[in-house]
Amino acid sequence: MISMIQFSDVLAWIHQLLSSCMAPWLVFIIELVVASVAAVVALLVCVIIMVYMERKVAGHMQLRHGPNRVGWHGVCQLFADIIKLLLKECFTPTRADKLLFVVAPVLSLCVSLLALAPISWGPGLVLWNTNIGVLFVTAISSMGVIGILMAGWSSNNKYALMGAMRSGAQIVSYELSAGLSIVAIVALAGTLNTGGIIESQANGWWILKGHLPAFFAFIIYIIASTAECNRAPFDLAEAESELTAGYHTEYSGMQFGIFYLNEYINMGVVSMVASTLFLGGWQPFYLPFDFAWAHTFNDIMALKFMETWPAWISWVSLAWPLVWFFGKLFLIIFFMMWFRWTFPRLRIDQLLKLEWKYLLPLSIVNLVIIALLVVLGLHF
Amino acid sequence: MKALYNYLKEVAFAFVSLANGLLLTLKYFVTPWKSIITENYPDNRNNPSVADEFAGEVILIHDENNEHKCTACTLCQLACPNNSIQIISKQVETEDGKKKKVLDKWVYHLEMCTFCKQCIDACPQDAIKMTNSYELSCFDRSTLTKILNQPGSKLKEKPKVTAKVQE
Amino acid sequence: MSASTIIFYILATLVVVFGALTVFSRKIFRAAISLLLSLTFVAGLYFLWDVDFIGALQIIIYVGGIIVLIIFSIFLTHHSGQKLPKAKVSKKLLSGTLAVAGLGFTTWVVSQFVFKPAVGVTPVEPNVHNIGLQMLNYSEYGYVFPFEVINILLLAALVGAIVIAIKKSQETEK
Repeated sequence: MISMIQFSDVLAWIHQLLSSCMAPWLVFIIELVVASVAAVVALLVCVIIMVYMERKVAGHMQLRHGPNRVGWHGVCQLFADIIKLLLKECFTPTRADKLLFVVAPVLSLCVSLLALAPISWGPGLVLWNTNIGVLFVTAISSMGVIGILMAGWSSNNKYALMGAMRSGAQIVSYELSAGLSIVAIVALAGTLNTGGIIESQANGWWILKGHLPAFFAFIIYIIASTAECNRAPFDLAEAESELTAGYHTEYSGMQFGIFYLNEYINMGVVSMVASTLFLGGWQPFYLPFDFAWAHTFNDIMALKFMETWPAWISWVSLAWPLVWFFGKLFLIIFFMMWFRWTFPRLRIDQLLKLEWKYLLPLSIVNLVIIALLVVLGLHF
Repeated sequence: MKALYNYLKEVAFAFVSLANGLLLTLKYFVTPWKSIITENYPDNRNNPSVADEFAGEVILIHDENNEHKCTACTLCQLACPNNSIQIISKQVETEDGKKKKVLDKWVYHLEMCTFCKQCIDACPQDAIKMTNSYELSCFDRSTLTKILNQPGSKLKEKPKVTAKVQE
Repeated sequence: MSASTIIFYILATLVVVFGALTVFSRKIFRAAISLLLSLTFVAGLYFLWDVDFIGALQIIIYVGGIIVLIIFSIFLTHHSGQKLPKAKVSKKLLSGTLAVAGLGFTTWVVSQFVFKPAVGVTPVEPNVHNIGLQMLNYSEYGYVFPFEVINILLLAALVGAIVIAIKKSQETEK
């Protein structure tokens, strides 16, 4: 893809354009704001699609239609819901800790948005190109529990407190196996940088190249991250039938809306990390075989045939990595929704048993096997 | 060794059952036109498909001769947990001079009914049944108290059972 | 003043303010949250100084680990929602004096130290690769010995926790 336009070229061009007419500090600030707003808006668009998708998937899996009143097949249902939430009163209970009650949703939203920074959306399209990328995401996701604990405690409601404590225990324990399965891929790729990890998969995704252990790591990561997002079958923190709504029992209006948004942002971030680590991020599908047909397939996947086309068509190739990135994102999200609407909720002791007695030992053994693979050079 | 084998078998079985569940929901998801069972209610109002077993409003069955089967035994009234049934009977004199209890008013308080179907089960004559109607809301509460027996209706004469036995 | 200086002063003020709130707040849960924010802004300082790895570890260990443990132990205590009683004047005086003395001593030590730019030393880039190599390096200036000592300490702590928390089986009770 030498002759094709790259994201870095486009970004450099925009930078040059801005620098030609403005002071450097102003350019810096504008770029900072525009880049972060663009990332957040892209994620919010994903969230809108995810909410609609969740309701339709839930509907069809439960033999229902799902939303079908507002707009064509109910596509505008979410906007109607947002307007409703915005118009509702944000009610604060009398005996709540008012400051923390108001701060909690905002804090948890900030924390989940922070995790976006090192995500690589396309070649050269990353907000913060840091050498600790994946570690940073892990660190931030370990902060996510704080907002939930604050919300649960400050509501001064026993359901909320119990939900928060369950969620705390759950997130703290499932972080371990999620972290270990991330470490497995980091050992294979040899870097923590998200862009570096994705580039190391140019000749095949890790889930294919890393033999069976990488596949196990993928499964463990999906299970653990579903638990970290507090989604069913691990939605102990909300468990409608026992705790009304868990930590956000007392929240109403847009404060509840923020928690709802937060759940989907977390899902999006987790899926982005999973696609970055295991499914090659924005890399197209690649068959790591040495056959003629495999080469042809790989060339088609990498849009090699477009190199000879006129220059203006090659702009299309700019969108190609994004198509792959968002395609993988929504594939993993579909898996998480599929699990949610199929499996029944676990009990709290089953949940902790699953993590500490099965997933954690499995992921440690898995990590050791992967370390052996890397040392002996057995992976592709 | 046996315990380990059993354990592994259990694990494998657990995965198979998870996969079964996933496949079922996937089947529902990819073939919505086959699997969706909910109705587009206000749209198909003129042509709703309601199950025969649906328990709606209670009615007293009348045949074409304006006759019903209710003997005013009040078993339904006793069976009703909400007191939504009131059987008012009267004494009439038949041609051969006997006094007989017949139904005067079968009063049904729809606003108190929970559609539990216990009256239907209690009725020895199968005189009452539940219809499929579900649009029961109204603007005036007094219209919810209904008298189910039509004016001028009378008890259906039973064929002589004793005569049949003798034959 | 460059942007990084401004950001440094903002972050430093936030660290100090939330540190003070940790001490002066009379609601124990709010004190824990203030401590959390203070430690998070310390991590922000690390990110500002381009030592990303240390910053991420600060968040993982202090915020994600220790503060969550503290909050859990607050949840498990009674009356965590009520205000703590006011401290006695004598206690206030004593702790105030000690704090001021500690601050004074630190300021004196810092003021005595002559800060000069390091000459003739090639700085090691603080990325994960170099940190990992340095951590397991057994040649000169390597950290493998302290690393292993800490490993043994953590192992002892783990074993101790298991010994304390383990349920005695019924045979030993009899």
